Amino acid sequence: MKLAIVVQRYGADISGGAELHARYLAERLSARAEVRVLTTCARDYLTWRNEFAPGPDEVNGVPVERFLVSRERDLHDFGLRSQRVFGRTHSLQDELEWLGSQGPVSRKLMFRLHRATEFDFVLLFSVRYYQAYYGARIVPERAVLVPTAEREGALGLAIFQPIFRGVRAIMYNSFEERALINAVAGNQEVPGTVVGVGSVIPTVVEAARARQKFGLSGPFVLYVGRIDANKGCPELFDFFTGYAEQSPRQLDLVLIGAPMLPIPKHPRIQHLGYVSDQDKFDVLAAAEALIMPSYYESLSMVALEAWALGRPVVANAHCDVLLGQCLRSNAGLYYEDASEFGAVLDLLLDDRSLAEALGRNGREYFARHYSWPVIEGKYFEMFARLASEPALQRMEPLPGWFARRRPTVPAAIDVLAELPSGPAAAYGAAAEVPA
Amino acid sequence: MDQDQERRRGHFHRGRRGPDRRPSDRRPPQPHAQERPGRDQVDVEQIMRDIRARITRRGGLDLSDQQIEDLAVRRLESILDPRAMKPEFLNQLRRSADEFVERQGKTPSGEPAYAFEDTTIYDSHRGALRFIRRLLNPLLKLFFNPNPLIRALHLQARLNVEAAERDAERDRRQAEWNALHYKIVERLVTEVSRVSIELQSLSMRVESLDAKVEFNERRVRSIEGSVHRSRPLGRPADAVAASPAASPTVESEAAPANAVTATVEGQPSAGTRRRRRRRRGRRLGMTPGEAAAAPLPAGAPPAPADANADPQPAVERAQDAGAASPRPAPPPLFPPPAPDERAAPEPPAEQPGADRTEP
Repeated sequence: MKLAIVVQRYGADISGGAELHARYLAERLSARAEVRVLTTCARDYLTWRNEFAPGPDEVNGVPVERFLVSRERDLHDFGLRSQRVFGRTHSLQDELEWLGSQGPVSRKLMFRLHRATEFDFVLLFSVRYYQAYYGARIVPERAVLVPTAEREGALGLAIFQPIFRGVRAIMYNSFEERALINAVAGNQEVPGTVVGVGSVIPTVVEAARARQKFGLSGPFVLYVGRIDANKGCPELFDFFTGYAEQSPRQLDLVLIGAPMLPIPKHPRIQHLGYVSDQDKFDVLAAAEALIMPSYYESLSMVALEAWALGRPVVANAHCDVLLGQCLRSNAGLYYEDASEFGAVLDLLLDDRSLAEALGRNGREYFARHYSWPVIEGKYFEMFARLASEPALQRMEPLPGWFARRRPTVPAAIDVLAELPSGPAAAYGAAAEVPA
Repeated sequence: MDQDQERRRGHFHRGRRGPDRRPSDRRPPQPHAQERPGRDQVDVEQIMRDIRARITRRGGLDLSDQQIEDLAVRRLESILDPRAMKPEFLNQLRRSADEFVERQGKTPSGEPAYAFEDTTIYDSHRGALRFIRRLLNPLLKLFFNPNPLIRALHLQARLNVEAAERDAERDRRQAEWNALHYKIVERLVTEVSRVSIELQSLSMRVESLDAKVEFNERRVRSIEGSVHRSRPLGRPADAVAASPAASPTVESEAAPANAVTATVEGQPSAGTRRRRRRRRGRRLGMTPGEAAAAPLPAGAPPAPADANADPQPAVERAQDAGAASPRPAPPPLFPPPAPDERAAPEPPAEQPGADRTEP
């Protein structure tokens, strides 16, 4: 079986969620199929500047083809177009221009997809990006979409609805993501399954080594990821500093990741910067819990990694996906406000047996749903199903020139507001059985 | 395994404070986290329900600023009664405040200001059309003179901008005033709410203390009654009647010292001493065994070292000493001191109980 994975960026040192997801998947699937990655020469997702050399490449044994990005992103133009399509009534043409402004526009990659007849299936990552949208339109009968969609403005755009209805199959990251996409596009008949992604967990994890290396003496909770307003970090800082002032406990907050906003100067907040994977896992093993303050996630890989190591997770209850994961796994607590944040931390620190039980549940949840044999099995089951069934759905063509320019498309945030919210299924086997 | 889980999770409530320390029979029946089926006997949903219930219970009078503000908003509605105030006054205030907040983050509202130049009427976003119009411009000017029209529209555009700026400035000032008024009223009501909550808390505390005082009085009365019943029949009644300081009141300044002196210098019976030691032990937070083992200063009345302690124990001590009872005191068990000793100008230094009865 020959598979193509199309993703906006690709590299061993690129740690974005969808990109890492694509790399892990390519490396795992390449053991049982012939996998080739088609991507751009960009490394930075803000500018899409060509930094890798175009042409064939290889990353961890997986063959890669890189194509030049036609134009870099103009942030100002992208901001203006985003305001228009997210906040006002607009036209389909506005959305298409927004998509082009977002990028990464790589016409050579699109030409390559036109000629990509040798692949049985084409896995398209991150629906909101140019290459996934036009890739799905170029090879709809072989397109398997990994949308990595969140509850954010792009999901409410009208141009994506035919894509959700027209691809051959969709591999969802979570039940909440599937519910959102089903609600926005009405694509229940499209074959799909909730898969997610596994992670490469090191066999040896040394908490003591991390404590010694980074000078972590006392108990601490950990945040891993981009330190960004979009990830809920300002709220985390507020809640934690309030907790540290009121609580007599000597609990630290340790941050791992690149800062996109100023980190408060507080004696109990430590920023370790960007660390290696081994260090990350060591610190994670030493932490009392992992904090996930983000409001929007399609799947939190770091939460899965924490569960794989038997650490409990404290998640933002406003994020449907994280809340659903905590409820289904019985391995994480959650908070809605500062008082709950403090109470949850106190409980985890007071009741060690509870923290251990949550960690055990997390480990079991990870092994049951997110271990690589399970993930690979779901992908190959889907490929086998698609190979044995004819394609029932057709990709809807774009409307005509005048229809595309008719300003009748509602603002994306209004569309988003109508979508269902909350965890998809709190308990029960129904939530855990693949669709 | 299940039994181990039960044992381990059995102490889930042990560290709680406040109302959670009540016996389990007084707690509302709640399904426990470990009673729910689930992986490894943990139910995060139930745990979160427990946490939220605990936060709610702890809320009580310890309200957050946000809660007080919410309360204040409700009180604001009740204070600004439409029957007494201008109708819709509250809504107007709110609208004004909201408008101001909205305008802070927006550009000046209204129609967008447009500029009108001499090329505006020939302009187009399509280059070809713009080129054709420019080509045909001389031909158009053969039919009529567009310059007065352009000048008038240019002037009108400028006037529009100025008028919009004036309006925006006026609205801004008005909105600021409205927001200020609303904020002032809101803060006043917030403070009133806070003060009334504190008042409620204090009045509840006073009631509690009052109940304690009443209870202690009843206890003293019962002790005195038992002492009275156990008094030997051969006690000289005339000595009791001749002692004016034997029934002092708390308000008396000189009498308590005498009364304490009378008690201290007398020789209480062994049974009375044991009862007082037991009470002192309780007051000091000691177990009866510790209280019995604690050294008692010779000749000193039973009193804690801290004179600024809770006033109720002070009253109790004074009652123990027979000095603070508003009722006629029972006859002393032992003869009162000599009149010259009672008239001593200053009480002995080792009688702190006498100082505490003074205002």
